[in-house]
Amino acid sequence: MTVALVIAAFLALWWILGQMSLRSFWIQTLNGLSFGAVLFFLASGFTLIFGLMRITNLAHGGFYLVGAYIGIMLMALTGNFFVALVVSALAIMLLGLFTERVLLRPIRGLEKPEVLLTIGLTFVLGDLSLAIWGGDPMPVPVPGFLEGPWRIGDFAYPRYRLFVLICAVVVGVVLFYIERRTRIGAMVRAGVDDRETVAALGINIKAVFTGVFMFGAFLAGFAGVIGGGFLSVLPGQDFEILLFALVVVILGGLGSLPGAVLGAVLVGLIDSFAKALVPELAFFTLFAPMALILVLRPRGLLGRES
Amino acid sequence: MELVRRLSPTARLKLFLLASAIGVGIALPYLVSPFLVGLATLALIGGLFSMSIDLLGGYGGLITLGQAGVSAAAGYGVGYMANRVGAGHTTQILTGLAVGLLVSAIFGVMAMRSDSVYFIMITLAQGMIVWGLSIRLNRITGAENGLTGISRPAGLTLYWQYYWFALGVVVLCSLLLYVLVRSPFGSATRGIRESESRMRMLGYNTSLQKFYLFMVAGFFATIAGILLVYLNQFISPSSAHLTASAIGVLQAILGGMGTLVGPLIGSFVIVFIRNVVSQYLERWPTLLGLTFIVVILFARRGIVGALSRGWRAWLLRRYGEEMTRADRQAELAADVALGAKTSGPS
Repeated sequence: MTVALVIAAFLALWWILGQMSLRSFWIQTLNGLSFGAVLFFLASGFTLIFGLMRITNLAHGGFYLVGAYIGIMLMALTGNFFVALVVSALAIMLLGLFTERVLLRPIRGLEKPEVLLTIGLTFVLGDLSLAIWGGDPMPVPVPGFLEGPWRIGDFAYPRYRLFVLICAVVVGVVLFYIERRTRIGAMVRAGVDDRETVAALGINIKAVFTGVFMFGAFLAGFAGVIGGGFLSVLPGQDFEILLFALVVVILGGLGSLPGAVLGAVLVGLIDSFAKALVPELAFFTLFAPMALILVLRPRGLLGRES
Repeated sequence: MELVRRLSPTARLKLFLLASAIGVGIALPYLVSPFLVGLATLALIGGLFSMSIDLLGGYGGLITLGQAGVSAAAGYGVGYMANRVGAGHTTQILTGLAVGLLVSAIFGVMAMRSDSVYFIMITLAQGMIVWGLSIRLNRITGAENGLTGISRPAGLTLYWQYYWFALGVVVLCSLLLYVLVRSPFGSATRGIRESESRMRMLGYNTSLQKFYLFMVAGFFATIAGILLVYLNQFISPSSAHLTASAIGVLQAILGGMGTLVGPLIGSFVIVFIRNVVSQYLERWPTLLGLTFIVVILFARRGIVGALSRGWRAWLLRRYGEEMTRADRQAELAADVALGAKTSGPS
């Protein structure tokens, strides 16, 4: 299985290198990785929430979109990108609090109604965004020092996308540190394995649930502002980004943080090269690897058998 | 008449409702305006689409958020043959059927080893990929502009002709579904809904059973897709979008999951609300989302569940307990389908 995947990857690489110059190969790779970075912010929150609470929060795409719009609004108000980034993410965190405490609490434990409720919430968020911010695509303005290309020799690449990549690495390291090394992380990991026992040990599991849900929402808002800097923000993007995030967790394995990293990198690269090489099939190229994984490893590459 | 008198009150009520529904259904073009007949056609087709979702979700416990992908694929099959190839109606319909069934088979193989939330996510992604393809694959699908110029076969061109045709097809499909859910196949399907592991212990190949179920549901979704494309004489990417799939699910839940008539009722309600509201309000998706949330929070048993509960309460007052024992199935079907705990023994 692993051997087959490695061989497939090499064949794909060989074919791609035959199709394009080395320079555009590196540019597409970086494009794919920076898009993957945004997907990682989104998918890591999604997967954490699922792993702990078994809640599939399809409103994550809606959170992303609203986060991006709030970011644009705050940029216009304050002019400071980092204020916009943090405040917008905090606002989405509050939206997460409302979703978890008010909307999802009454149907706690009913997995299917929970999913369907969050899809209803996505419709509301998307349509209200359209009502408030209109239908024209707009970008989140990026700070001056991140504008323009970064050059080494004759190779130039947008600074902002590199900044996104660095952000992803930092967030990834912080997430892994929290999950593996801190008391909170231990509670979350224990909760994933056995909720009842954790509750019986005197840990307030409900508070942990709410906290993780809010944290996931925070990351979605964060992703919206960061992603809005180079993928412009427009209606309908909530569903599109949700599709990408779902494919990330289906490939990587639901509930697994390393799976989210692997899935995000894979989906980002596949999408980037597909858009460059076979633009008409852009979405379909996600489909083939997804089908393959689902048939061979239904729980995803790094997912645990339930 | 003697036969009717020997039936239980519930059976008599059902018979009466069915007869009047079919009567009103046939007489409808004489009773209301062409516009309303058009809406009723849409609601019938939406009801069939929703029934296919309910077959998976209500009977099999597998909720899909990608069924619009299957019907849209069938619709694009028809549209491609009509618009791009210029083939005759037989070829169009056969292509639509073939494409719908092929897509169902591929999706079925991908989803058959999953269940519950996983199944929802996989089907959502599948449906959205059909949408993505339809928006990008300009040569075949006409991208955002869609495919136009899909004419109806001779004899079905007028609105009332098409209404009666759609009515006939939907009634026929409902009959097929009625037989199906009462067959051993239907029992095995419900068995998977109630406990897949137990079914596996009993020697059933549950993955295969789920694949068959997906194919059967896909067949009815395909029929709905073909009916819809000839109704609109047009198809565009929005027909494959998650919104279309989600509306189908909402109709099934609002009407009553795990009952065949529920999705049909739900479809009439949603089509009606949508048309009334869009005359006064631009924010249909918001209303759709709010309806979703409210129905999920407060009305998961749906209209059929609520009516059945009311009817049982009336029976209880009139005839006492022994009459009401057998009649809780429709009321509780949605609870089982959506994974709720049933409230005590019946």
